[in-house]
Amino acid sequence: MLAKRIQPMVFQARRLYVELMFQVMGRALQAVSEVDAAVQKDARALPVGFLFEMMVMPAGSSLIVEHVGDGRFHYHGSSAPRPVDLSIQFKHIAHAFLVLSFQEKTSVAFANDRMLVDGDISYAIRMTRVLNRLESFILPKLVAKRAVKEYPANLHLPEKLMSAARIYLKVASNFVETART
Amino acid sequence: MTNKYYEFFCPVKVIAGKAALEHIPYELTGMAAKRPMIVTDKGVRAAGLLDPVIAACEESGLEIVSIYDDVPPDSSTAVVRDIAGVYRSEKCDSIIAVGGGSAIDTAKAVNILVSEGGDDIAAYAGAGVLKHPLKPFFVVPTTAGTGSEVTAVAVIADTEKHVKLPFTSSFLLPNAAIIDPRMTLTLPPHITAATAMDALTHATEAFTCMAKNPLSDAYATAAIKKISTSLLTVMDNPKDADHRLELAEASTMAGIAFSNSMVGLVHALGHATGAICQLPHGLCMSLYLPYVLEYNLESIRGPLGELLLYLDGPDVYAATPAARRAEASISAIRRMRDALYKHCKLPRTLKETGRVTEDQLERIADVALDDGAIMFNPKEVTVEDARAVLRRAWA
Repeated sequence: MLAKRIQPMVFQARRLYVELMFQVMGRALQAVSEVDAAVQKDARALPVGFLFEMMVMPAGSSLIVEHVGDGRFHYHGSSAPRPVDLSIQFKHIAHAFLVLSFQEKTSVAFANDRMLVDGDISYAIRMTRVLNRLESFILPKLVAKRAVKEYPANLHLPEKLMSAARIYLKVASNFVETART
Repeated sequence: MTNKYYEFFCPVKVIAGKAALEHIPYELTGMAAKRPMIVTDKGVRAAGLLDPVIAACEESGLEIVSIYDDVPPDSSTAVVRDIAGVYRSEKCDSIIAVGGGSAIDTAKAVNILVSEGGDDIAAYAGAGVLKHPLKPFFVVPTTAGTGSEVTAVAVIADTEKHVKLPFTSSFLLPNAAIIDPRMTLTLPPHITAATAMDALTHATEAFTCMAKNPLSDAYATAAIKKISTSLLTVMDNPKDADHRLELAEASTMAGIAFSNSMVGLVHALGHATGAICQLPHGLCMSLYLPYVLEYNLESIRGPLGELLLYLDGPDVYAATPAARRAEASISAIRRMRDALYKHCKLPRTLKETGRVTEDQLERIADVALDDGAIMFNPKEVTVEDARAVLRRAWA
């Protein structure tokens, strides 16, 4: 009985969590593309103006970033200025929650058919690499190991801390700027 | 609660064995199809492989309305448009693909156009674009390797834009796959070997990569057993219809396995090598398989060790300590490759192909890293890792 009563609140909390995580990840994608050379190298192969979307089907939360050139991303929030070039779509918010709460690795979610790719697969692979790199930077190692297929052996603590600090600072600034406008 | 989850889907009716072709008229009429079109290539026609298909239909009073026999090895959007035009002008109502991967993929794409309408196949590229069942579609494979008769994918080249268009939909799956040993009896030794190794790779990667599941495992292990017991027999005696059928069935089973569990680094490297060096797909699979298994070894020790039972039989499996079975599986695959090299000079290294230069390895590694198959490889692959595997596969 109690479980039934609190179920709507659980669903609401899950929806808000996924929404918040998309906002953080979108801003963090922009930030990591400004601080990490490996991410920039991967992103440079994307066409300028390339729009990437991650969303929950059928019309749930989403994040949209654009490759603005030279390996840099710009976070557009949840609405795209034009049709997106690549969309990674979670089939259900429960699947998005599994991935964004680090209970299921992104690669495992793909293997488990939790997500669909609409667009060029090679670009999806590239964006997944970027997301993995981002997660390796911003999450504590123990949590990151649950999120990525393999934690990069060459990512040592000083580099991780420095990069994470810069990324979080940029994410926080972006949140403040968004709140002001 | 465990996070374990999987999906498995294969609605294709498999019609296999002696006189399987003679079931085509019954299957067509069962779907109210009376005016079939055959899509094939010149090689299949020249080898006389169309004759038993046509005879089987005519004997039942079913006329093949049109035969398109000019599918090139790498089919294009223009070819698909042309065939769709013939289909419409001849008022056909169903398609029978007779051939290997290219003829089957082309027929799948033609089926999209003639069912959905229009002339621009590119408009249907991507995943999940198709929303309705297509026209009755039957596949008669003439090689035992690709498994295209049970995959929901087709790849067609857009020669104007120089891109390969992928089409993914369960509606692309044929209504039936007809596996008749007559279709592979005349396959030359090197193609028999390469295509069987393609099927072996499908099954091995299906069993060792990330999306493996209990149902795909069952198909994969059965396929491996059939290949390991029949391939060398067929190489010694190409007219052995029973073992030819075993290989053809294994190819279909491996196709069902990998289309439900995906593949990994062997395919990523193979796709890249095929694109850059124009090497046949089956050859690339045979070439890279042991090197990639060695690379993945510590991530797949358990399942790879299990495969020894199907590769070398119960006696060897029982006599091998559990801790050594994974390495023994790789050795069994290497022995199979050595035997094939003796039979038909199927290359075991990139150098032996004579068509790859060492300076191409870096480019192959770069392209492989963006291949969709790499996502499902059990071990993360960096560009340095891919280069290291390529260097080991070089000579």
